[in-house]
Amino acid sequence: MPTINLRGAQKNYGVNSANAVSDLDLEIRNGEFMCLLGPSGCGKTTTLRMIAGLENLSGGEIRVGDRIIDSVVDGIFVPPEKREMGLVFQSYALWPHLTIERNTDFGLRLRKLPKAEREARVERVMQALDIAKYRDRYPSQLSGGQQQRVALARMLAVNPGVLLLDEPLSNLDARLRLEMRAELKRLHKEFKTTIVFVTHDQWEAMTLATTIAVMNEGTLQQMGTPNDIYDRPANRFVAEFVGSPPINILTFGKPGVSDVADKAKAYLAAGYPRLRGIGSIGMRPEAMGYTAKLEDVPQGSFSGEMTVTGVLPTGGSWILELRSENHTLFLTTHALPRVDSGERVFFYAPPEALHAFDADGQRITEADALLRNSTYN
Amino acid sequence: MLWLRGDIMALLSERAKGEALVRKPVTAPSAWQAWRYRLKVALREPTTLIGVLTALIFTYLIVVPIISIVLDAVRVQFGHERRLGKDVGDLTLYYLDRAFFSPVATDLFWRPLLNTLTVALGAISLSLVIGTVLAWLISRTDMFGRRWFATALIVPYMLPAWTFALAWTTLFKNRTIGGQPGWFEAMGLTPPDWVAYGRFPITIILALHYTPFVILLFGSALRRFDSQLEDSARILGAHRYQVAVQVILPLMRPALMSAMVLIFAKCLGEFGVPYVLGLPVKFEVLSTSLFRSIASRQTGVAGVVAASIMLIGIITLMIDARLVREARRFVTIGSKGSMNRQSRLGKMRLPATGFAATIFILSVGMPLLTLALSTVMKMPAKFTLDNFTLDYWIGTDLHTVALQTGILLSPELWAAAKNTMMIVGLASLVSGILGLLVGYVVIRTPVRSLSVYLRQVTFLPYLVPGIAFAAAYLSLFAVPRGPMPALYGTVTILVLALIADQMPYASRAGISAMTQLGKDPEEAAQIAGAGWFRRMISIVIPIQKGSLVTGVLLPFISGIKGLSLFVILAVPSTDVLTTYSLRLVDYHYTQAANAVVLIIAAIAYFGTLLAQKMTRTNLAEGLGS
Repeated sequence: MPTINLRGAQKNYGVNSANAVSDLDLEIRNGEFMCLLGPSGCGKTTTLRMIAGLENLSGGEIRVGDRIIDSVVDGIFVPPEKREMGLVFQSYALWPHLTIERNTDFGLRLRKLPKAEREARVERVMQALDIAKYRDRYPSQLSGGQQQRVALARMLAVNPGVLLLDEPLSNLDARLRLEMRAELKRLHKEFKTTIVFVTHDQWEAMTLATTIAVMNEGTLQQMGTPNDIYDRPANRFVAEFVGSPPINILTFGKPGVSDVADKAKAYLAAGYPRLRGIGSIGMRPEAMGYTAKLEDVPQGSFSGEMTVTGVLPTGGSWILELRSENHTLFLTTHALPRVDSGERVFFYAPPEALHAFDADGQRITEADALLRNSTYN
Repeated sequence: MLWLRGDIMALLSERAKGEALVRKPVTAPSAWQAWRYRLKVALREPTTLIGVLTALIFTYLIVVPIISIVLDAVRVQFGHERRLGKDVGDLTLYYLDRAFFSPVATDLFWRPLLNTLTVALGAISLSLVIGTVLAWLISRTDMFGRRWFATALIVPYMLPAWTFALAWTTLFKNRTIGGQPGWFEAMGLTPPDWVAYGRFPITIILALHYTPFVILLFGSALRRFDSQLEDSARILGAHRYQVAVQVILPLMRPALMSAMVLIFAKCLGEFGVPYVLGLPVKFEVLSTSLFRSIASRQTGVAGVVAASIMLIGIITLMIDARLVREARRFVTIGSKGSMNRQSRLGKMRLPATGFAATIFILSVGMPLLTLALSTVMKMPAKFTLDNFTLDYWIGTDLHTVALQTGILLSPELWAAAKNTMMIVGLASLVSGILGLLVGYVVIRTPVRSLSVYLRQVTFLPYLVPGIAFAAAYLSLFAVPRGPMPALYGTVTILVLALIADQMPYASRAGISAMTQLGKDPEEAAQIAGAGWFRRMISIVIPIQKGSLVTGVLLPFISGIKGLSLFVILAVPSTDVLTTYSLRLVDYHYTQAANAVVLIIAAIAYFGTLLAQKMTRTNLAEGLGS
């Protein structure tokens, strides 16, 4: 399928209500596995439904290649049944009165394909998704994971140009979810379909997507590869949404109000005098280290002394909770911590682990070049 | 150098941002463009068109008759031109004055109003007392046979209310009026008039008939009550009594109030009971007063009375809507806590069971037994073998003026039964289908105002007691208007009125079925490539088959036992079972009348059971709405 393009897409559910989606530009290229990531209510599902045509626009347009399929200004609306897309619902939405085979066959029948071909295609997707043995059952007789597979098979059978998935894994238990993730990745390879995937689960997005679009309050925050999103969050929202435990943010305020933030400010002023306009900095817990002795802090790192207030094992790694008068920081370590609550330790973060944001919370990209490519002087 | 590299990298990594810079922004749509686009989306599928059509139909079937009767109240009616010195149709305050302020106003309006209110309040108090106790016994105690009682005590609601009125007359009728005497009279114990007719028996019968309301509404609230709330209070040191008064009762108040309001609204429109029991002593309520005005062709006054009944009904149900909204504020449906914990009755276990059994005998056993016995006995209260006969059911060549065969062999019964099946069946079928359509449109149409209008207009008849609604139909369709011929005396008017009268239930059922279905299955079909008609045929209708069946069956049952609508609109040639039995009552063919009522009761009862079985639902759920 050619590139799907949303331009200035807008949706509000009433004249006086806030925009569910506002001025959204999004490009989905052929073969991409794109993930729309964001907290609930951020407009990601609405975006997906707009692409499918189940939600009409309040403004803007959607193109597939050069063809406009939805535009308020031009008065064009191609109905969902003519868009040749596939959508897997969060609730799966299997037709309760049809058998698994008939569910899978439904779209093919509508396309009036010859019987032999229909059977072959149904067989292929049912085999691919391992549901052939349930062909004569009804949806209510299947488990959640099996229903999920049927919902996928039903859409894959018609070989849609793009497969839209609306939080399809959210109703599955942890183990099944892992299995289905791998399955989706395999299906993406096997069927070579473009996939657009909606989730609020950052791990799901990270592990599956080739491109992630992070949304919040109806607007696109950042679009990029999983590594981009994690390494170079475009703003504080993205930085705080992606990562667990969440990124530590130090907001620069009035001097004296915030001990660790003051320290960070002084550290940057001394080492990178050319850096200006910083409103806050972020440090990912897993990019930080700690030590009991000041002399063990690596050269050029930002560091400070704090009190350990909690050691939380997470199985294989540990989260340390550190407190000063005005701050709580978290850091992750993979070695068994040799400290206990109440002890004083020095945390440290190398300059390349620092994310600098301006007063509006936008990433200062110039700072990356400085922090990541030069040494502290 | 470092600066530059950073910039380029940043640009490359943030593709969206980078391209947004290059692109021209899409122009914002003008108001006209936005409107055109919405119209295109709305008209793409027949949903909106069907919505507009049904909205028009219901405006004509529901709104117009109501407006018509309100206008009757303030316009000069045929026959009064001379007296009022105005032409037919001119505005006049004469009827309002006559009904509210003239010397006959007391008889026409005020005393019936007072009687309606006192009877309703009496019935409400009595049914609340009995109902709350029974509800508690059934849902929260270890009373014997509580599962059985849970169904058995609901039976009075499945039967027509005036079944009990007829049973009452069979027992207590005295020499004040003619015909076969009641059993007590026949045994030499003449019941006083106040026992036999009027306020006392009407109140008792309505109370017993509507007690199931309280049991259902209060009981379901009790069952959903989160036991953790109770436990928290107990743990903090409250006694059982304190818990009941300070925690449970306040939380139950909305359910109780709702039951009260519903009973009041039902009493307001109740016709059969006051007709059978009130008429002999000229005890009139609003519905019988309205009937008398119509029967004596006082169209203008009838308009005033009908409009008053509607107004009271609308106010009452608006209060109810408010209460329901309020009740939502403290929803106590707990997921874990709502376990159905039982209180141990201990020593009171047997007496409590006895109480429930007594109520059952009084409200179901005795009336039905009396009616059944009365149809096989020649003389009342004479329990000798030679007095028993099946003649009234299947006899032939009886030496009576009319009805010379047993009721089952009389052609009138079968004609009435055929009429009932045809009229009620057709109306139910149509309203069931319309209800599903309305539900579909209400849930699916992108035109919000259409959805709101349809929802409200189909609900309107609920606010209007059947008898007033029938009067409204009479007012509109009795004479030819425009292309519509005069419909009075035809089957059509009955079917139309019934459809309109049943729309609140049918559309509610349709809306809730469509809400329950959700839009996902249909949208999935849409994505798969199915157009509107294909989705209807392959997805929506097959899935909604069950609710369509109940959507037809439930109105059918309520239509079969309905009386107030027919009593005004039916003529002898369009007799249905209910009006036929009422006619038999009027002719004092007691046995035959009772037999017909028993037939109706049986159909209503078994029909309800069937509907419940088919949907695996409880009546309680349909009631709350």
